[in-house]
Amino acid sequence: MNVKSLIRRNYKKQPEVDFPDYKSSIFRAPKNKKISFPSSDSEILGPIFNKNIIGELDNNLTLNFSKNKNSPLGHKIIVYGNVSDQFSNPIEGALIEIWQANSAGKYLHNNDKNIAPIDPNFAGCGRCLTTSSGYYEFLTIQPGPYPYPNRGIEWRPMHIHFSIFGKSFGQRLITQMYFEGDPLIKHCPMVNSIADEKAKKSLIGALDTSRSNTQNLLAYKFNIVLRGIQQTYFENRREGL
Amino acid sequence: MSTSKEILDETPFQTAGPFLHIGCMPNAIKIEKLYQNDLGKIPFKNKNESELITIEGSVFDGNGVALDDVMLETWQCDEKGEFKEESGFARFIPNNLTKKFILKTVKPGSFKGFDGKIHSPHISLSISSRGLNMTLNTRIYFEGDELKNDPLLSIINNCNVNCLIAKKISKHSYLFDIFLQGEEETIFLDI
Repeated sequence: MNVKSLIRRNYKKQPEVDFPDYKSSIFRAPKNKKISFPSSDSEILGPIFNKNIIGELDNNLTLNFSKNKNSPLGHKIIVYGNVSDQFSNPIEGALIEIWQANSAGKYLHNNDKNIAPIDPNFAGCGRCLTTSSGYYEFLTIQPGPYPYPNRGIEWRPMHIHFSIFGKSFGQRLITQMYFEGDPLIKHCPMVNSIADEKAKKSLIGALDTSRSNTQNLLAYKFNIVLRGIQQTYFENRREGL
Repeated sequence: MSTSKEILDETPFQTAGPFLHIGCMPNAIKIEKLYQNDLGKIPFKNKNESELITIEGSVFDGNGVALDDVMLETWQCDEKGEFKEESGFARFIPNNLTKKFILKTVKPGSFKGFDGKIHSPHISLSISSRGLNMTLNTRIYFEGDELKNDPLLSIINNCNVNCLIAKKISKHSYLFDIFLQGEEETIFLDI
């Protein structure tokens, strides 16, 4: 019998959910301790997403919403990296969905009350599936920082939201990538809800000048690690032997 | 291949924020023509209406306010208790007027897991939103099913276990409210 289990989540490397510096958490973060239990088929077996859902321009945010091939405002960037599990095994076919503000720091969303202009050529929405080596790549524009109401008005550092599905529901991850050198990172309560410095740093996309110099755009590398799945073999005891 | 290597840390979560619809369900906020369909709009294709159940409910914050900016995702096996990698996933949001979500799906079957145990019919549910630094996980079980030997329910020593059981309101419909805080706080799972 093969028993599969996800590596237990290390909450010391994760954000504190009940973190009042991030004001919206005050009435939303549950107060009770979560219940741990052995992984079952529900957490391990899927979902997996089919290639046919992905359109040709889905990972090119500079073109997927442009009118008459006009470019969105701002400078172009490539965001790329590898998705692996905790054992460094690449994850093929991981679904990555991203969303972000435009170069002025405005989201194409009715709930965004920031008085910055919408860019008619930019939706800020993209997705892709990783290759056999776990590789992904998005062509987009640099998102702007923006003010938002928290403890008074505060500023979000430049960031891109990432949603990732690996091979199992227990690997599901939603996070944000920040940009190397952004002075707003250290002031951000959402970043600071993670106590561990190394974990915090792992969310900062690294400027890759080797790529930037050859392609007339800036490149940022952001690797993603999803939970590992262990297999333990138990020999079935045969009756009567 | 994966035995002696260093074990990496999982990438930390961050909140999905208030604008998650842009990336996860653009058609729902009228960003159209980008994706043909929003992901997880229908969990199982080619099912008749008569084969489906409805699960309806709201997500309440600590002030008792029903939220409309949360995203719910569910994952389940089919009516025979089989996991089919490419179906069984749904993604939905509460209606912004009624503040209720509605999931139409097949009622999952019970299954014998790779642990050799029988698992009662259930749906895995995750909740992501502004104000949640990590996605929350829970499960929906069903009133009227055999539940006492379920491997998860039997380890919960909590009289509140009822919060994981959807109430049957008619032959094919169930009610499942979620409370993020307060006396009725839902049991969330470290999956």
